Amino acid sequence: MKFRGKIIDVACLNHFTRVITTISKLTKMCVLRLTPDNLFFVLSGKVANGGVSMWCELSQANFFDEYQMEGVSSEDNEICLEVTPENLSRALKTVQNAKAVKVKLTKKHCPCLTIAAELPTLSSVSRVVTHDVPVDVIPRRLWHEFKEPNMPDFDVSIYLPPLKTMKNIVDRMKNLSNFLVIEANLNGEMNLKIETDLVSVTTHFKDLGNPPWGDDASQDGGASQSRDPEAMVEARVDIRRLQQFLMGQQVNPSKAMCNIVHQRVVHLILLHEDVSLQYFIPAVA
Amino acid sequence: MVCPDENMLWVQHPALTAGQRRYLCSIANVYSTEHMRRQMKQHYLNVLHTCVQAESHLQKEIWGSSTCFLFSPLFFQHYSLGSASEQGNETIKCKLVMKSVLPLFRCLTSIERSVECCQISLSASSDRVIIQFFCRHGITKTHNLRFQESEALQAVFASHLCPNVVKAPARLLGDMVMHFPASQEEITLSMTPLRVSLRNYYEGGNVTDHMRMMYTEMSLHPDEFDYFQVGMESDITFCLKELRGFLSFAESHCLPVSVHFGAAGKPVCFSMEDMVLEATVVLATLIDSENSGPSQPIGTPVSTTPRCADAAALTVVSHGADSTKPQDTPAVTELIASSQGSPTINPPALIQLLPQTDNPDGLGAPEEACASAITTPASTMICSLLFRALASEQDDDGCAARLPVLACYSDTEEDMEGDYTRSPSL
Repeated sequence: MKFRGKIIDVACLNHFTRVITTISKLTKMCVLRLTPDNLFFVLSGKVANGGVSMWCELSQANFFDEYQMEGVSSEDNEICLEVTPENLSRALKTVQNAKAVKVKLTKKHCPCLTIAAELPTLSSVSRVVTHDVPVDVIPRRLWHEFKEPNMPDFDVSIYLPPLKTMKNIVDRMKNLSNFLVIEANLNGEMNLKIETDLVSVTTHFKDLGNPPWGDDASQDGGASQSRDPEAMVEARVDIRRLQQFLMGQQVNPSKAMCNIVHQRVVHLILLHEDVSLQYFIPAVA
Repeated sequence: MVCPDENMLWVQHPALTAGQRRYLCSIANVYSTEHMRRQMKQHYLNVLHTCVQAESHLQKEIWGSSTCFLFSPLFFQHYSLGSASEQGNETIKCKLVMKSVLPLFRCLTSIERSVECCQISLSASSDRVIIQFFCRHGITKTHNLRFQESEALQAVFASHLCPNVVKAPARLLGDMVMHFPASQEEITLSMTPLRVSLRNYYEGGNVTDHMRMMYTEMSLHPDEFDYFQVGMESDITFCLKELRGFLSFAESHCLPVSVHFGAAGKPVCFSMEDMVLEATVVLATLIDSENSGPSQPIGTPVSTTPRCADAAALTVVSHGADSTKPQDTPAVTELIASSQGSPTINPPALIQLLPQTDNPDGLGAPEEACASAITTPASTMICSLLFRALASEQDDDGCAARLPVLACYSDTEEDMEGDYTRSPSL
C-alpha cells in the first residue's frame, strides 16, 4: 500500500484545508478512502454517533498536482484509513504558506499520514515542517461498511436557505429545545419548528425552490408528482446534529439541498465545484 | 470632541458649522503638545499592561521557571525613591499577589479610552502599594494593595558560559512554535551545526496513547538566525507553555530574543531587552540520563524518550545586600532535587543574569510622591522539582514491531525532491 500526493497551488491547499476543517467539525474520527481518482471522507451511521452518517467526495485532480497510490491489491486498488480529521486540519493549517505540501502514507511509530511542507524563508534554505498524523488501516473485510450511501427514497427535496441564516436560527432554537422539526413541501416552503411545554417557535422560509430531480431520481415511480405541493413532509431530529452540520460550513456551497423522508431521515447535500458533502441525520420519534 | 485649549475662541465663530468646528479642532489637536504627551503616556501604559499580562500567563505554572521583567527608570515618566527607607538601603523588595494586580491592567481598550496617567507608589510604612489611574473627566481610581516583604529570588544563570546561543527576531521563534498546538506542554529543541529543530515531546504514560499522538517536527537552517553559536550539539526539553506568553510579548514589541543553553539538564534562558526594559525567562530542562555524551545523531526522526530519574532544578539565589558586581565563579552548579527533596538554595556567590541598572539621579520630579518600579519577584518555590520523572519501563521500539501493519514507507525520510521512479498505479 502506497500513497503519495503533492499540492503546490496555494488556492488548492487552502481549499483542501477548509474541506478537512469542515469535516473535523462534523466528526471526531472518520474513514478516509483513497482511490486513484478520488478521496472520500466517510462516517458510517452507527449508534455511537447518533446514527448520523456522512459522505464527502473530493476529486483528487482538483487538489493534487501529483497523486500516486497503490491500493491493497490490484483488484482492490484502494486504501482505507481511519483518521482523526482534526489532526489533519491542524497540521495543514500551519503550512498554508508552504511552497509545496506532500501528503504520504508512512510507517513511523505506527502507520501515519505524514504531511511534509517546505516553507519559504528569507535565506536560501527552506524551512521544513513535518507532521505525522497517526492512522489506522482498515482491513478489507470491513470495507463494506464504508460504501457510498444510496440516495434515499425521499418524499420532498428542497433547496436550503442561506446556511448562515439557518445557523443563526438553529443556534437560538437550541437554547429552547433539544429537538427540531424540519418540514418542507414541493412548493419551495420550509419550516423549522421547535415545541416545548411553554413555547413553540416556527421559522418559515418561502420561495426556496425544489431541485428538479426528475422521475428517475425518485424511485417511487412518479408518485411524488401526485403529491400535493402544499403538503408538508417532516422529520424530527436532534438539534445538536443539525447545529454541528451548520457550524462546520466555512464556504458557501454552489448548491445546498435537503431531502426529507417523512419521519425517517433528513439528507443534506452540499455541492461545491470539486467537493460534494452528504450528511444524513436520522429522525427521532 | 474636546478642544485642547479653551483659549481657542476662534472655534466658537458663529459662521462655522458644527462639522467644520470638529474638523478644525481635530487638526489643532494633532499639533498640540498635550496630545503628544497623551500618546506617549498611552504607549507606556500599553507596555505595562502587556508585561503584566505576559507575566501572569507565565506564572500560572510557577514550577521550574523564573521570570523577570526589569524596567529601567527611563521607562517611566517620573521615577524616584524616597530619601529615607526603613531598610536603610535603596532597594525595596516586596511581593504582590498577581491576582490582585492583573485585573487592574486587564482591559487594555478601556485603559486606552479613559486612563491618562498611571502612578504607582509604595509606602513602606503602611505596607501598601498604591496604584492610581488618573482618568478622563477628572476621575481618579486608587487601588491599595498590601504587599509582603520578600527576598527577591531570581534564578541565576551564567549566560556567558553557555555553549549554545541563538538570537532571532521574536517573529521567527513565534513562527517556529506556531506549528505546535496550544495544548502542547513540552517541546524539544535540538541544535547541531547544520540545523536547529523543534519537535513535540510527550511524557511516557500509556503506550497506546503515546502512539496515537501526532508528532510534529520542524527544522531551520542556521542562516535564519541573527546569531548562531553552537558549542555542543544538544537536545533540550522544556515547557513550551511557559514560553508562549513571553514570545507574544516580544513579538508585540518587535524585540529580538536571545536563547542561551547547554546540555540537557542545564537551564535554558530566553531574554529580550530594549532601551527601557529587559525580560528574561529561565526554564529548567529535562535531564537525559541515558545519553551521557553531548552529541546526538543528526536527523533522528522521532525523539528517543529520555529516561530520567530526576529532573534538573534551577539554581536560585537570594539577593544579598551587595550583589552589584558580577563575580568570577565556577560553572553554574546544577541541583538535582529528588521528588521528596526540599529546596536547596546556594549561597549568593553566583553571577547574576542581569546587570543591575543604576538608578540615575535627578530623573524624576522631586516633588512627586515616592514611586518605584515594581520588580516582580520569582516564586520562592523555584527550587522544587519541576517535571515528573518519566516511567522507566518504556520500550518504544518493541511495541511498534508487535502490531501488524499493512502500510509501508512510501518513500525515505530525506526525500524531499519527489523521487517518482516507481511507476504510478494508474
